[in-house]
Formats: sequence, structure tokens, C-alpha cells
Amino acid sequence: MKRIVEHPPETGAAKAYWRSVEDFSHTEQFQGWLKTEFPQGAAEFWGDGVSRRSFLRLMGASMALAGLGLSACRRPEAHILPFTKTPEWQIPGKTLNYATSLPRRNGGAPLLITSYSGRPIKIEGNPLHEACKGKSDSLAQASILNLYDPDRSNRFLKNGKNISSADAIKALAEWKKSWQANQGKGLAILSEDNLSPTEDRLQAELSAKYPAAVRAVYEPATTGFAQAAIETAYGKGSIIRYNYEKAKVILSLDADFLTGDEATLASVRGFADGRRMENADSPMNRLYAIESRYTNTGAAADHRQRLPASHIAAVAAKLAELVGAKSLPIFQALPELQMDPKWIIEAAKDLMSAEGRALVVAGSNQPASVHLAVAAINEALKAQGITFEIYKRPRPTSLSIVELADVIKSGQITDLVILGCNPVYNAPADLNWTELQKSVNMVIRLGAYEDETAALSTWHLPQAHYLETWGDSVLQDGSHGCMQPLILPLYDGISSSQFLAYLLDAPAGVDKVWVDGPELVQETFKTKVAAFATTYAFDNAWSLFVRDGFLKDSKPRAQASPFVFAGASMIAETRIASPQALSKDNLEVVFITDTKVDDGRYVNNGWLQELPDGITKLTWDNAALMSAKTADELGIYSGVHVKGIVAGLTDAGIYFSDVITLTVDGRSLDIPFLIVPGHPDYTLTLPLGYGHEKTGRVGQGVGFNAYKLRTSQAPAILTNATVIKTSAPRYKFAITQEHWSMEGRDIVREAPIAYYKENPGFVRALGIESHTPENITFYKSPPFDYEKYHQWGMSIDLTTCIGCNACVIACQSENNIAIVGKDQVAKGRELSWIRIDRYFSGSQRDIEMGKGVIPSDPEMILQPVTCLHCENAPCETVCPVNATVHNEEGLNVMVYNRCIGTRYCANNCPYKVRRFNWFDYNQRQLDQLYWGPLGPKKVEETIKLSKNPNVSVRMRGVMEKCTFCVQRIETAKIDHKILTKRTERKIPTDSLQVACQQACPADAIVFGDLSDPNSRVTKLKTRELDYSLLDYLNTRPRLTYLARVRNPNMRMPGAELVGMSLVNARIHHHAETEGHGEEGAAHGDTKAHGHEAEAKPAEHGSKH
Amino acid sequence: MSEQSSTYFGPAKGNILERRPLVSNNRSMGWITAHIAGMLEGKMPMWWLIAVVITGVWALLVPLELTYLVSTGVGIWGSNQPVAWAWDITNFVFWIGIGHAGTLISAILFLTRQKWRTSINRAAEAMTIFAVICAGIFPAFHVGRVWMAWYLAPIPNANAIWPNFKSPLLWDVFAVSTYFTVSLIFWYIGLVPDLATIRDRATGKFRKFIYGVAALGWRGGNRQWRHYEKAYLILAGISTPLVLSVHSIVSFDFATSVIPGWHTTIFPPYFVAGAIFGGFAMVLTLMIPARAIFGLHDMITRKHIDNMAKIIVLTGSIVGYAYLMELFIAWYSGNPNEWWAFLHNRIHPEAPYAWAYWSMMFCNVIAPQLFWFKWCRTNILAVWIIVQFPNIGMWFERFVIIVTSLHRDFLPSSWGMFVPSVHDILLFFGTFGLFLFLFLLFLRFLPAITIFEVKAVLPEADPHYVDPHAKGHQH
Repeated sequence: MKRIVEHPPETGAAKAYWRSVEDFSHTEQFQGWLKTEFPQGAAEFWGDGVSRRSFLRLMGASMALAGLGLSACRRPEAHILPFTKTPEWQIPGKTLNYATSLPRRNGGAPLLITSYSGRPIKIEGNPLHEACKGKSDSLAQASILNLYDPDRSNRFLKNGKNISSADAIKALAEWKKSWQANQGKGLAILSEDNLSPTEDRLQAELSAKYPAAVRAVYEPATTGFAQAAIETAYGKGSIIRYNYEKAKVILSLDADFLTGDEATLASVRGFADGRRMENADSPMNRLYAIESRYTNTGAAADHRQRLPASHIAAVAAKLAELVGAKSLPIFQALPELQMDPKWIIEAAKDLMSAEGRALVVAGSNQPASVHLAVAAINEALKAQGITFEIYKRPRPTSLSIVELADVIKSGQITDLVILGCNPVYNAPADLNWTELQKSVNMVIRLGAYEDETAALSTWHLPQAHYLETWGDSVLQDGSHGCMQPLILPLYDGISSSQFLAYLLDAPAGVDKVWVDGPELVQETFKTKVAAFATTYAFDNAWSLFVRDGFLKDSKPRAQASPFVFAGASMIAETRIASPQALSKDNLEVVFITDTKVDDGRYVNNGWLQELPDGITKLTWDNAALMSAKTADELGIYSGVHVKGIVAGLTDAGIYFSDVITLTVDGRSLDIPFLIVPGHPDYTLTLPLGYGHEKTGRVGQGVGFNAYKLRTSQAPAILTNATVIKTSAPRYKFAITQEHWSMEGRDIVREAPIAYYKENPGFVRALGIESHTPENITFYKSPPFDYEKYHQWGMSIDLTTCIGCNACVIACQSENNIAIVGKDQVAKGRELSWIRIDRYFSGSQRDIEMGKGVIPSDPEMILQPVTCLHCENAPCETVCPVNATVHNEEGLNVMVYNRCIGTRYCANNCPYKVRRFNWFDYNQRQLDQLYWGPLGPKKVEETIKLSKNPNVSVRMRGVMEKCTFCVQRIETAKIDHKILTKRTERKIPTDSLQVACQQACPADAIVFGDLSDPNSRVTKLKTRELDYSLLDYLNTRPRLTYLARVRNPNMRMPGAELVGMSLVNARIHHHAETEGHGEEGAAHGDTKAHGHEAEAKPAEHGSKH
Repeated sequence: MSEQSSTYFGPAKGNILERRPLVSNNRSMGWITAHIAGMLEGKMPMWWLIAVVITGVWALLVPLELTYLVSTGVGIWGSNQPVAWAWDITNFVFWIGIGHAGTLISAILFLTRQKWRTSINRAAEAMTIFAVICAGIFPAFHVGRVWMAWYLAPIPNANAIWPNFKSPLLWDVFAVSTYFTVSLIFWYIGLVPDLATIRDRATGKFRKFIYGVAALGWRGGNRQWRHYEKAYLILAGISTPLVLSVHSIVSFDFATSVIPGWHTTIFPPYFVAGAIFGGFAMVLTLMIPARAIFGLHDMITRKHIDNMAKIIVLTGSIVGYAYLMELFIAWYSGNPNEWWAFLHNRIHPEAPYAWAYWSMMFCNVIAPQLFWFKWCRTNILAVWIIVQFPNIGMWFERFVIIVTSLHRDFLPSSWGMFVPSVHDILLFFGTFGLFLFLFLLFLRFLPAITIFEVKAVLPEADPHYVDPHAKGHQH
């Protein structure tokens, strides 16, 4: 075999490192080095000549020729050489971290990226930034997969055909010349709202240079209602910022500020901080939620009320009246309230009693009138400056997509430039965008995927990923964030600011087509810092900006803003009408952004596609969500379909749904549906972002496109919708958790705070172990040396866990966890190492047993479960080959090389956390898993680049599971050993974070050393609320939970039941069996809540 | 003494409690040799050829399925996350259970001097060996990386990693391989005198050579017989505990785990009884047709069938008792998880696998009770039909234990269902082809009934035997 070694080109000048960022982006040798870092053959991706598709085709053919894939039997050969001149800071095998930010429509997320040898492989929150403090969320975590997505647009297209970048640029130059000649007449630019100061600056300059050009901004998920209301109330350019950590009582009106569109890292952190208990007397915030679907915010709430979205305005009006904000003209005619008035009266009283520390928030779907009402309520609660703040941030004006459509219709536009948006897919249905776009003479589109819009564009240019380009962003708290490239564009992509800069005059000293250095950002940066007296001062400030990832102290100051009801025209518009009565013939439809694919931009991200939805646990799909009553009345079915022997044999345990036709305003959509307990009746929730006709291989054809029903007049809530069942065969869903009830088992333990105060030991009294004698062992088994070695353990606080899934994706990214595809998930073969168990409590009976009624308004409890690292691990004793064993630090270690895949460990794991590689998920295409020797064994090169080099990529036939991020533990130990020259045996207290812990925005996961009395985890485990899952099995898990404590307002209707279902079941059970000898704290306490028939059938066997 | 002995060994006239002879119709020794050896010396009937071709093709499913399995992954089966074992281990336990009757008949009945064993032990032992071969396929190939299965063997290696001797799966490896080895040796040793007979009767050179090698130079001398009988007795002694241990150890795969429905101390005796139950059912399933086809009525008499039916009703009742006892204990333990595993996973009419549980109950507990009726035990067709129930029921028993326990255990979040894939079905189906194929070859190439032992239970074999006819003539 010929040995091909690509040497990096000789450097010449001694610039092998990037002392300054200019060097980094310009140097030729860096490019050369980058290419050689990749495995052989990967460099071909750079050539314009070979497309990805033809490359794949060739690869497939050569595999077939190589004798039915026998080439797989050979050890892969690669020849790598060390650097002769290493770039500065570059130590092979060591990581480098760079701060950057992820642009988002509600503000950028500050991030810290871990890079190995020039490959970014892991995303964390920026620990220096106070809004996130090193935390992140699932979308930020998963965005790294998009960087390496082999389906990302990697070529220039003209009318759908390949064209070299040089030819494209030549043509572009012609166009540019003609626009310059006529001042941009006939030119329209449609872009995304990236909240980037540099883009804003470039757009403004563009308006100056091309005064006749039309600029429009479109973000499909932004309704703009909230912003309109804030600007009406507090003046133009006003931005609202919430301080959840200061709020004692929070009321949410259809706002999912923990996982939904309204969520920011700061809102999750603030809420969790206000809720976290140090002891029974800790102050704890209280959350009321009125919502039109079950959200994670509703799950976290102490009092939850389900209400159709269109009925929430009436609640806002009533609340405004109750808190004394009625003086505003919009609230004069009070609409009829569609819920128990006592609920809202008591909630209002509670809000008023917490005056100054109360906060009411409204969802982005709610009309501007509701947001105005909420602003007035917050003013009445004297919240401004405490739980919310107003600051000013003027934005350049631009047209909306509707206005742009009007301009296009009038025939004024001949050339349309689309930067990033995908309007053919997601423009409001009433605009008929497809036809509009066709009517334009020429469309230039910059896009990350060859999607629907690309197919209808004259020119398509590949868009760079945010980790590939320079840029900046307005962070979620308003401060100025930096975006810097971690890698050269993998597919020759360019950013929208690069494109805008191209249309302008290039900055001084740049002679490239695309400005690929930081010049553009630097120019903006100069305007951000008051005065740079010297170049030195600028360099210094810039270096800090790039190093920190944001400009220190650039968070805009809050301005005490008077509430002015200036917009007279708003009065008529926002007068709150009486809500329509809904029924099965007049349904309400609510559009939401999906918690996984957002507005559709992450649809080709396999991690997010396979991520179980926080509430429904649905993967690889979206569905219309509705209540059981609605489905019953409509005569439609969704559930585990086991009718008939044959169906039962082939489809047992698989979720099926009728496909319904949803019609509203003459538009219709065929979509399957899911029943969600706790969903309001007669309202359907439609997650947006799915149903792409054209995108990458992962996302294409997944789910159903709800944008087809969404119009510019009603982008959020529609009424007068009807549903009919289609004759299509039942649709198959892949749902990771089909069971809703805990069946009365003491799995997630919870109690209201008052009960906890009375019975501090209630947690231990709930379990089976409170009925059995204590497990006593003769042996110190297994022997753990707390003196000599670290003893790792974890604690998860169920009070603060909001089930946001950040940990799930963080784990997937850190540990190279493969995706398995919809079909495999439906078979129950997902690989995720940490999962969020979701139970509905308050249900009477197991739904699957047929007799049960789906609970209409249950509570929800969530529990992250990962390997519990049992000291007496049932998996270890049964493994015949010693492939899973304990180490001296208390880790349950999985030895992939030794594993032969008997799967006995998975069977014997009572927590069912072990995951098996049923197929070669890392080697095979997801649609070829069953092809055996006929399917080519191959992985895209870019996917290989994305792997964490410190974690084995598992092959077929081995078991895998959470390792407590053993690679991080070992790295920390080695680093500390080197640092202290082997003088210290243990790493400093809490100096190490595992991936899930690091991501957790609520800080609910704490990992650390149990042998260290000062570590956080050691302290948490001494809390009264600490309990072991399935303790009676004597597995002695190292991961224990802190029971959930809730904070109901006892004057609220139904408050006596909140968080009491397990306790009540226990009490009820004890009342039946008097004379019980052992006395736990909960035992015998029947005085307050002994009557709720919450007893579960599974309880009846308990022995006394 | 001679008078007493004769009543023992020979039929005494006028005795009401007269034993039925083990070989009927006063067949002579010569007839027995000629009849049994004739089965493999004569031209085989056409049906045999057709059957061999059919079962041979059928058996090809096994290598085909295994090739696909190994090249693609265990995912081609229906097993999944809560149900990581399903048909693979069900089939393993099913086949290994069938493999119990042969050695039980050969060893335990030999040690307890049950002479009626002689005409059925050879075939039953062959069945044992073939069943263990079929059984072994499943645990060997159900692992994710079969090419690494040698890790199970305690081979000294540079990493100094040993198998985990705490794992019941490893015990299984030793138990099953020991059982297979001992059964094979036991069977072979028992074959030696008969192979010599075949050799001596052989006409062709090739045939003489092959059987000659296999007969290990057996000449039938006194010393050889003495050695033979010692060896056979010792092997019977070794085999007897193995019969009990193998299935006890197989049951440990489940009993030592923590899963409700598996974690049960009653499993070892319950599994052994079940194995004997299922094994005898399979012996009858095969022997009844063989008896009819080869005209073995004189050697495999109704008495044999009657005895085996009695064993089936006994062991079936033990199994039924075990089912009810584990049910009772699950309830009586007060452990809600245990009781759930029975009530909601198995018994409840709306439990997803209730049909499997009640099939098992009917086949294993209800159906064999028919053998209390003498008519059912003596009507050959009825016997054959009734023994099909244990055959089916014992498969369901293992399915119920494995799948229904796993599919819903402790955390309802991780509950799931198991649905077999077509490859689950084809591989299991294929093992029946393999089993029948091997059995047909056995019928053709080896004496299906132990010639010398059957002769030994003839009245003539008694040194003190006096031919009543000859006596009559003398008088």
C-alpha cells in the first residue's frame, strides 16, 4: 500500500502560531495544517470538482468492489506525523478553549468551546458571563453537530447546478456593479434577525450605499407581540429584561420561560436559584402557571391551570383589575373569565403580598394586549427595577416579510438577496411566497442547507456555521458578545456579514473577496468602547473581548422607565375581546416553536431529532397535541395500538395515531396527533419546524409542516379550526417513554414544603425500605478506601430540575453517543446515557391496563436517570467476562474491549440505564442497519472529526452506559498530578465537572468527591431530602436524589393535593393497616390529608 | 435361591401381579439383533430420504440466519432495551430442557435399576445430544461479539483478566459444556458393544472399517465387559448429578438476578422438574412415530409409554405446584414490585402477555392431567397428542419467565414491549430442522436401540433361566 503523507507546507516566516487573530485566519500554513490534520481523503472536500454526493457514490462503489465490504476486516491505516513547528499553545492531546457566542433571535448565548488539535468538539456555557455562569442548553450543546453535518451546503449552485466558486464570484461581481450603478434599485435583501451589532452596522451602511434597496428581516418564530407592547408601554427601543432570581412569586401566562421560546439561560438559572433549598427554612419562590399546553414551566409550577391560549387574555385583564392596574383604558370592559375565579383571586393576593418581588410574564404567543396588561400588572406590583428592568437598544428599522411581499407584488423588485432565511418553507402561508420568489428575476440565497428556498433560487451560496466565522452578537442580557472562528469553514461557507461586507467597500487593507478576518467586528468594536486613545488600548481591549467572549461591563444599564400608554392606536387594536367558546367544531390552534428543532433550523441535527421531547417524549417527529377529551369527542385514536392478535404481535408497544386533517381558514394540514394529559380541551398545539421537503438526510420528510397553516395575521393563535379523521393508515411514532404513571411506586419522592417542615424525614418514610428491616452486611463490601482515593458521587436535586434536556445533549456530545434513527427508537434501542423520566401523578390507574381514564389535569414530575454507579452493582456480578467492574474510586466501569455483549447486565440493571449497540450505529447509515454485509461500512469524515478523542467510539455488540465522564476525571487527576509534581493525591474540592452537571442551567446536578468532607456533593448527601432510588434492593447507588419540594399556596383551590399524591397514598394505606410497628416520620400522620383516594393497586401488597 | 430368582427375572405363571415383560412376543436374542441392526443395514425407505433432504434444507436456515446475525448485529432480532433477552435465551432454555430426559433415562434410571429404560435410552440420549447442540447455538450466538466469546474461557492471558466466576452465565458455560461432554462420552461408551456388533455383521469393507474404528476394538471378552460395566456405572454416577445441576444452574441465570419474576429461590427444583417434563414429552414425540415406522412395538412397548406418561403427569404436577407457589410467594412477600410482575405482567387478562401465561398454564398444568386416566396413557395417538402440550407449554414457560419479567420491572419509565422479528422465528424454526435432521441421521447410522442391553432384559439373559417350553418337552 502506497504510503501517502501530506506534509504541511514550509512555513517560511516564523508565524506558526497565532499571536494575534489576524495571523490565525490569514496564514497559509494554518490551512495546510488543518487539511493534513484530517484523515486521508478528507481533503477532497475542499476541491470544487468533487461534490459530496459523487464522493459518497465513489466510496460506496469502491466498498462494493472491495469484495462485499471485506475491506472492513482490515485495520484502517493512517499515517500521521508530528508537527515540526507546533503552533503556540498546541499540545497534542490537550484541549484549548475559546470563548464565542451562539447568535439567537432572543440574544446570543455566551459559549466556551473546547477544541482538540484544531477541532472544536464540545460546547459549554461561558463561565465568565454572569447570565449563564458556564451553563448552556440543549440547542447550544447540539449546535456543534451542525458544524460537522455532512449534509450542510458545501457548494455553489446556479439554478440548482454545481458551479465553481470562482465563477459564482465573477457573476456576483457583475451584479454588484449593476446595483452600485443604480443605487440598489430593484434590490431587496431579506435577512435573519441575528442580533449582531456588526450586521446591524453593515445593514445601516448598506442603506447608505444603496438607498434605493429594500431591506427586510424575517424570523419565523418571532411574533413581535411582546416587543410591540414593551415599546408601546416604555417607548421606542425599549427592551425588557427579567430578573427571575429576585422574584418570590411568579405567574406565567402561557410563557414557558424554562424551556420554550421565552427561555433564556438567565431565566432558568434565576428561577432555580430562587427555588433551591439549603434546608427546610430556606425561602422558596412560588410559581403559578396558566398555560395552553403542558410545558416544563407548568411541570415546575406549584399551581398549574390549563386554559386555551385565546382565553388567557381574559385572565390577564382580571388579574390587572385585581392588582389595581385597571386605570388603563384597555381593561375597561372585562371579558368573561373561563376558569375558577378563586384561583386567580388567590394568586393575585399572593402576588400583591410579594409586592416588589413579584413577577408576571406572558408568552410570546399572547397578543400585545396581554403583554400590555402584564406590563401594567408588573408596574402595579412595583416590580420595575427589581424583577424586571427596561433598557434601551435602538435597532435599525427594516421591513417585515409581509411588507417585503407587498413590495415584490408591486413589481419593484428584480433582484432578491436572501441571507440565511428559508422563506419558501416558513413564510406565512397567506403570502404565497413560492410564487412571489418565482416572480423575482434573480434570487441570490446564502443558506446552510440546500433546502426549499435554495431549490427556487438562481444562485445558492453555502453559509458558514457560527463556529467558522468572525462575528458578534447581542447576548441575552444585552451585553456585547464575541464570535470567533474555531476552524476554517469546512465547506467554504461564508457568513451573512461577510456577504454584506462584500456588497460594501472592503475595509482598508483587505484584498480578499470575502473578509475572513476580524476586521468587520473590530470596526464595530471600536464604536462600542468609548475611546481608544492608543492602538495599544484598542489591542488590549480587543484581546480581552476575544478572550472573555464578551465585552465586560457592556450590559446595558437599566433605565427607570415610566409606564406610558402612548400608543392611542393600540387601544382599539388591543381591546381584549370576550373569548370564543371552544368546542369540537370550533377548535383553537396554537403554534409553538419546537423545543428541539426550534423554528426548523435544527431539523437536520440528529441529536436533537432523537432527543425525547420534554413532555411527550416524542422523537423524530412532531404531532398535534391535544387533550384526551378532545380526541374522544372527535372520535380519533392515538395510543399504544394492540387491537387484534396480528396487530398485537407486530405492533405491540408501539405508539400509533390516526392522521387527522386540520382545517382552518381554508388551509389544511394532515398530521397525526398525541394525547397529552393536562392539555386544555378543544385546543391543539402545533410545534413548528418539521416537515421539510428538502434539507439534509436526517431532517428530510421528518414530521409535518405546521407553517402551512400559519398566516401573517395570526402567527400564534387561530380559532375556528376543524378536525376530521383521514382514512390514512395509523401513523407510527417513536416515543421513548410510553408509560405515564409511577404506579404508586416511590420513585420520584415529593411533598409540599409545609409537610416537609412537619415531617423532616418524610423522604425515608415513603419508600419500601421503611417497611423492611435495615440491610445489614457482614462484609465491608465492596471495600472503598475513602482515605486514599477519590470516591465519586452525584446528587440530583429534583426540586430545581426542570427537565430541559441540556444534560442529555451535553452527554451525547461529550461521550460520542450515536443516534440510532426513528425505527430503532420505536424498538426501544435509543442509546442516550442520561434520560429524563417523566411521570404524571394523580392518575388513578395505569392507562395501558385499559380501565384507566387518562388524567385530564395531572401534575408532572421529572427525574433525570443515568447510571447510578451502585456500590453493590447488580450488573457487575452477572457479567461473565468481567467487562463491567468497580474501580477503587467507586465508579462502575464499563470495559468496551472486554465486553462480548451478553446483555445480562442490562437485564439485571433495576434502573435500566444500560444501552446496547444492536447494530454498528457508528459505521452504518441509519437506513442500512439491516443490510448486513451488503451495506457499506462508512462514516462521513466530518462526523469522525466531531468525536471526542478521549472517549471510545463503541462498536456493534458492546454495552455502554454513563461513565461519570471518566475521561474528565482522569484528565483532572493527571493535570493536578503534574501541577503539584505528584505531591498531592487528590484534586482540589469541586474542581471537576462532569458533562451533564456542567451543562445543567438549573444547577440541579452536582458531582464530586464523597471522600472530601467539603465537597458540595458530600454536603448534599447529608440533607434530609436525600434518598436512593430503589433503596431496598441494597444496590447502594452513588447517585442519589434530593426529593422534590413544592411550595403551594394553601389558599388556592386544590392546594391540599399539590405534591401530595405519594404521601397521600402512603397515609391512606397506613390508615387501612393500623398497628404498624415501625414509625417513620410520615407514619401515623393522617390528620390533614387522609381522604384522597390516591392509593395505587401496586400498593396493596405492602407487608406490615 | 433358584426358585426365588426365577420369579424375579422371569414371568411366574399364575401370579396376579405379574410384571409385563419388557420385550413382548417372546422375541429371541437373534431377532433383536437382526431387527435393530437391520434398521441401519437394509436399504432405507424412500420416506427417509425425502425427510432427510427436507430437514437438511430446513436445517440450513441455522447457518444462514447465523451468518446474517454475525455479519449484521443482534439488532436483527426483536430484542430491545428492557427486553435484552427474548427468544434467544427462551430457545436456549427450551432446548437444554429437552436435553434432560436422555441422560435422566440413561443415568438415573440405570442407577435405580429401572430395566424398562433399556429400549429407549439410546434414542433419548441421542436426542439429548442433538438438543444440547441446538441449545448451545443460542447462548453462543446471542452475544453481541461472538468472535470474542472465547473471553468466557479461563485462558491465561497477558492482561490477567479472568472470567467472572460470580456470574451465573459463566456457570452456565461450564455446566452446559460439562453436561454435553459427559453426555456424549456416556452415550458413546454405551454404543461401543453395539458398534462392534454392527462391525461384525458388516459386509462392505468400508463399513467394516468405519464401525471397526468406532468400536474401539471391542471383542466382547469377559475383561472388556467388566471394564465396560464399571465405566458405564461410573459415568452414570457422574451424569446423575449433572442432570440435576445443569438446569439448576440455568435457572440461576434468573434466580440470582434482582428482577421481579426472576429473583426466586424456587427456580432450581422447578426448572429441573420442568426440564424432565419437557424432555420426556419430546422423547415420546419422537419415539412414538419411530416405533410405528420401524416396527419396534416389541421393544418399546405400551408399558414404556405408560411409564413415561406417568413421569409426565408427575413432573407436570410439580411444575404446576411451582407455578402456584411462586405466585403465592409473590403476593405473600408484600413486595409490590414482585406482585406486579405476576398480576399485571402475566395473570391479569389485560396484561399484554397474559395470552402467553395462560397458554403456559393450560399446556403444562391442565393438559398433562389427562394422563391420570389409563386410557390416555395407553392410547398411543392420545399420548402423542397430549405430549405436544408440554412441548409447547415449556417453550411458553421460558418465554413468560424471560420476557414478561423484563418488559416491565422497577421503573415504569423504562417499560417496553417485545415483538419477535422474522429472524427470531426463522432461527428457532431452523433449529427444529437441525434437530430432526440429526435424529434422522442417527436412525440411519447408529443402532437406535441398545441391542445388548435389551437382550439383557430378556428372560433368557438370566443364567438361571429355564425355558418353560423346553421344560414342557422334557416332561
